[in-house]
Amino acid sequence: MSSKIVGTFVLALIGVAVQQATAQSFRVQCPASTITHPTAANNNSEPAYTAATTFVSTNPSAPANGYLVPSAHVNGAIKCQQISGGDGYASMGDGTQTYMFSFGPLSGLADIASGNPGTEFPNTFNTTYPGTLVPGDPATTPGFTFNGAVGLTPDLDCVSGNTIATAAGSALPCPNLPASGLDGHVDPRAIMDVGVMNGNIPAPLMAIDEDDEYFLTLTNVGMIMRPDLFEQHTVHFHGYPNASAFYDGVPDASVAINIGGSFTYYYLAPDAGTYFWHCHITPPEHLQMGMVGQIYVRPRQNRVPATTSLYSALQVQQVDLRTACRRPNDGVTPAVTSATDILCTNPLPAVQTGLNGGGKYAYNDGDGSTRYDVEYPIQIHGFDPNFHFVGMTFNPEGFADMKDKYFLLNGRSYPDTVTPGSMETESADSVKHFSQPLPAIINITHGQKALLRISDLDVTEYQTLASLGIPMQVVGYNAKLLRDQAGNNLYYTTNSITLAGGESLDVILDATNNTTGQVFYLFTPQLDHLSNDAENFGGLMTEVHIN
Amino acid sequence: MRPMNMKNVLLKTRLLLAAIVAVASLSATAHAAAPGITGPNFTLTAQPAYLTQPDGQAIYSWGYGCTRTPAGFKPSATLMPGTACPTMQVPGPTLIVTQGQSVSITLTNQLPTAAGNTSILFPGFNVTPAGGVAGLLTEEAIPGGTVTYNFVASTPGTHSYYSGTQSDLQIEMGLYGAIIVVPSSAPAVCTSPAIRSNLYGAAGANPETDFRLATAAYNHAKTCYDREYLFQFAEMDPNIHNQALAQVTARTGCVTGAPGCSLEVPTEPYHPAYFLINGRSMPDDMDANYSPMYPHQPYNGNPHMHPGENVLLRIIGQGRWQHPFHEHANHVRILARDGNLILSSTDPTSLAGPALFTTTTTPGVAMDGIFYYTGRGLNWDMYGHNPASTDTSAKLTCTPDANGYNTGPAAYSAINYFEWCQDHNKPLQAAPFGDVAGGGPVTLPDANIFTNGAWYGGSPYLGPDATVRATGPTGVTPPSGTIANSPGGEAGFAFMWHSHNEREITTNNAFPGGMMMMMLIDSREFTIDESN
Repeated sequence: MSSKIVGTFVLALIGVAVQQATAQSFRVQCPASTITHPTAANNNSEPAYTAATTFVSTNPSAPANGYLVPSAHVNGAIKCQQISGGDGYASMGDGTQTYMFSFGPLSGLADIASGNPGTEFPNTFNTTYPGTLVPGDPATTPGFTFNGAVGLTPDLDCVSGNTIATAAGSALPCPNLPASGLDGHVDPRAIMDVGVMNGNIPAPLMAIDEDDEYFLTLTNVGMIMRPDLFEQHTVHFHGYPNASAFYDGVPDASVAINIGGSFTYYYLAPDAGTYFWHCHITPPEHLQMGMVGQIYVRPRQNRVPATTSLYSALQVQQVDLRTACRRPNDGVTPAVTSATDILCTNPLPAVQTGLNGGGKYAYNDGDGSTRYDVEYPIQIHGFDPNFHFVGMTFNPEGFADMKDKYFLLNGRSYPDTVTPGSMETESADSVKHFSQPLPAIINITHGQKALLRISDLDVTEYQTLASLGIPMQVVGYNAKLLRDQAGNNLYYTTNSITLAGGESLDVILDATNNTTGQVFYLFTPQLDHLSNDAENFGGLMTEVHIN
Repeated sequence: MRPMNMKNVLLKTRLLLAAIVAVASLSATAHAAAPGITGPNFTLTAQPAYLTQPDGQAIYSWGYGCTRTPAGFKPSATLMPGTACPTMQVPGPTLIVTQGQSVSITLTNQLPTAAGNTSILFPGFNVTPAGGVAGLLTEEAIPGGTVTYNFVASTPGTHSYYSGTQSDLQIEMGLYGAIIVVPSSAPAVCTSPAIRSNLYGAAGANPETDFRLATAAYNHAKTCYDREYLFQFAEMDPNIHNQALAQVTARTGCVTGAPGCSLEVPTEPYHPAYFLINGRSMPDDMDANYSPMYPHQPYNGNPHMHPGENVLLRIIGQGRWQHPFHEHANHVRILARDGNLILSSTDPTSLAGPALFTTTTTPGVAMDGIFYYTGRGLNWDMYGHNPASTDTSAKLTCTPDANGYNTGPAAYSAINYFEWCQDHNKPLQAAPFGDVAGGGPVTLPDANIFTNGAWYGGSPYLGPDATVRATGPTGVTPPSGTIANSPGGEAGFAFMWHSHNEREITTNNAFPGGMMMMMLIDSREFTIDESN
């Protein structure tokens, strides 16, 4: 398809977007402060966790008529992210360009390009790009460092309206407009320029901390290669405990976002763990086509000062009923006679290790047993090239005999898995895009530990990942610490793990006894998955380097 | 351009189909327990019949059924209209017995003669067979003959049963079912008002009928439950069924043991096109139990629950594949595997099974798990309470118990029973349109840029009162009101529970279908009636 035709589609889509909505339908949301995080200046970094948040009613004289707001120890911060829902191309291990339905980054572009989460604090998200973003960015522009929201621009209607009203002494039309004029209003051109044909596999990485409020804006830029499909998209936060149906992303049970529209998902960060997210529109199609990504939640324990015992810090957490996981004899007042929450998995550990905080941990373990030095998100997926071809060519798909031929770790097959940096693919707009930003190579300094956050979003079959030489210690499963309700750790050491699509698992690789220069392989013993379509070499494999 | 139009037509047809289906399931709102037949003496038969699928196909299958009225039904036939045990059903009748009972199952083989012998295996029980002929795994019933299996239901829990004869074909054809052993004595704490997560019989509460088989899954205080659902997963390759039918038809009247009086149906390569929960594909699984539309598929999969209730999930892998069953909305605490409680090695009062958001079903394996939903931690009041409202239901109070929930006798009659009080009155929207509190973190955009789902309750909030206050009696528009979970009637939180091998949520290559259901969290305004 020539770029001229693509351009015509882009114009047509913008036209549709303008006609459809009375109000502007692309928008982002990233408040600098909220009732939960009331002080804007404190919301651009993670404060140390020293005590559970205490609350007071907004109506102290008649608490029944108010609601609870923090009075002290405000924990967590605000995090924002914007993503596009659309299409794009990726490069397979055998050089084939594969068409995808896909999400792409519309914030944190520089961070995503360097393999990091594109999740930003408000003071980063709410910044404007000093120049003009062009298609393919950040791949097109050398030295690209912008991490703000694509398209964000001052709301000139509000700015001038407020100016006029102030001069006239009348009520402001936009009373909450920040001095910057940035109220979430966006210029759709920048969003279309960057977002169209800019799909990533895996979808943009997200990471938040417990106690954060998270604002995720999905902007549907349309699928240029499939103008016949007026596809909506959604985000399902897979595995979120006590999710709301409204923000669960299931189109049957909530709203789905039309082309030309934006929707901001809102969650208070759930319990720490490795989750993932995906579009929930026609899942066998949109997931197979590539609309799958990872989101992980870092534990409060990361914010416990180095002088504080992890055990006592976890005791402190029990004061917060939202996250309490009580067990008998956990030393917390008032004592309980049995576990109070059947679904929680991180009660105080049965054995006190006496370790202090200051490190990075997979979970609020209270004993330091999930400590790691470096973490790697690893997403297992598979592409069926026949389905992707059919998906590009206007034919009805078959589902029952879907058969993956490309087996992917972070959207790449071996040997691409160990290629450093972002992989780029020239899309049908004849522009190169960062299609696969996330390498799957694992680098560990000898003597240190790596946390692998492994999620599987394959839609056709179970996948096994085995480790040659360096054992895998499984500490978490389905975003839950492996611990019984009496506090005993149920970790196990293995050399292979098997996951279904829709599962996640946390593995620690311990390089304590390894030496610099060693190389190990993570690969699948399902030998037919060690291939890139017709190439009998590659597939679901990557390397672990001990440095 | 023609192919593009074709795709659009297909897409629209699918949507239309989904809409029709949704209306159909509304007309027979069905939310039901784990129905079955009681013994302890059962007289079963194995017979052929046709199963219906949502694509209109009738699939020749074999199943277990009853030759006479069983000793009883649970829940009782007076509670559930249409209760029956047909001569053949898939899955087979759920056998409900009590721990310690001596169970006897007599099976009569009424399959076509060419199908040969058949049998039942009861994994996990010490079975003594009698009256049959020797088979590979157990005694079998010859065509027209019988066999009896005797065992003591020694331990409680959920188990599968299935054919032990030419299993690759007979299980595929539908010869499988479940046996539930309820504990001989449930812990007293399960009926104590002190932990009242359900309100059966509570003074002042919205009366709902109790459809449970027991109050606990095991003789263990951590296994109390308020509702229960049984889901059996199996897949089906119609080619195998069609070949079986062709061969059976060709061999009509053949004599047992005569040359050629047997089936030679290849069961590989295997290409299943139907993915079944309790013998039905979505959306049929959300129609009523014992619906006359499915005479040989009496059991549904249509879970409903109120916030705070402990819901027992009895999940069995039948068939030959694993299926990653993903439960939206919360984790499931696995209590037991094949009837064996998983307890802490140091403290037998504590559970040690994993908490999972995806429960993999494995052939022959049964799991018991507890699920609940409370909305804890949403950081906004899901009931949309508004102290400034003139509506008394918008101004309900929330008195936290030791765990932070609105429980206790004073709340029994309130629609926000078991509300998470830390978020009480806390606004979601910055500047709401309707009668809910403002000042919250988010701005909901123009509803015109959305497409609403058939199970969308019409607002972000839970229950008709909150939804009508927030948006009006039809919820947000367009469309004007949703059809399967109406804003003014139910407005529950709907969550999809489905196989995450997503190609399995299709029926014969059409989406949606297969191993999928909608689970509804209903506020207390909505009476969950499991009788239909």
